[in-house]
Amino acid sequence: MRESTSDFFERVLGGRTRVVKELGNIHDLAWEVTDKEILGLCKLRIAMILGCESEAKSMGKQLNSLKVSDLSQWPTSNHFSDLEKSCLRFTEEFIIDVASIPDDSAFAIRDDLGDEGFVNFVNALLVIEQRMRLLIVWQKMFEGVTV
Amino acid sequence: MSRSQRVDSTGFNSLFREALSRWQEEVVQLDLVDPVTTEMVRLRCAEHHDCHT
Repeated sequence: MRESTSDFFERVLGGRTRVVKELGNIHDLAWEVTDKEILGLCKLRIAMILGCESEAKSMGKQLNSLKVSDLSQWPTSNHFSDLEKSCLRFTEEFIIDVASIPDDSAFAIRDDLGDEGFVNFVNALLVIEQRMRLLIVWQKMFEGVTV
Repeated sequence: MSRSQRVDSTGFNSLFREALSRWQEEVVQLDLVDPVTTEMVRLRCAEHHDCHT
């Protein structure tokens, strides 16, 4: 059975228990403050873009199979709501070049979720992205295996 | 594209905000990387992310 991402982080971080605890805490809260299905879709899209096969496989099992199969073509798919498409567009721009996200991409989500919902979503996305980048780098450093 | 603040970034879920602060505090206290390098990376990331905090 594959070691969970949380267990892997705990093993790599060793005795740094406070960092392990806070990393787990922000990850749990990221899912609590956002729509789980939307964040799940965004997480899967991040895993696809960054090439994190383990997270993509794990996330793909938890989501609507029609959406999963259409995810790489979300702009032209009719399986996604307008909000889901706005969040996926923002996610791709966030992952590829966080400093160049167009205003329209941000405002499309803000107009739907409100200021607080938008900031919750962006921070949740940050947590998911950072955690996955850590997983990719640390697995290569400490395991020497594909991710 | 605007690089100014689009929304009030402090007005979000308070538990989440506090947890993110604690996480960042714990990370910068790690001592495997020297303090100067840590701060250079922190400032570079803040600038790239347009982080005003």
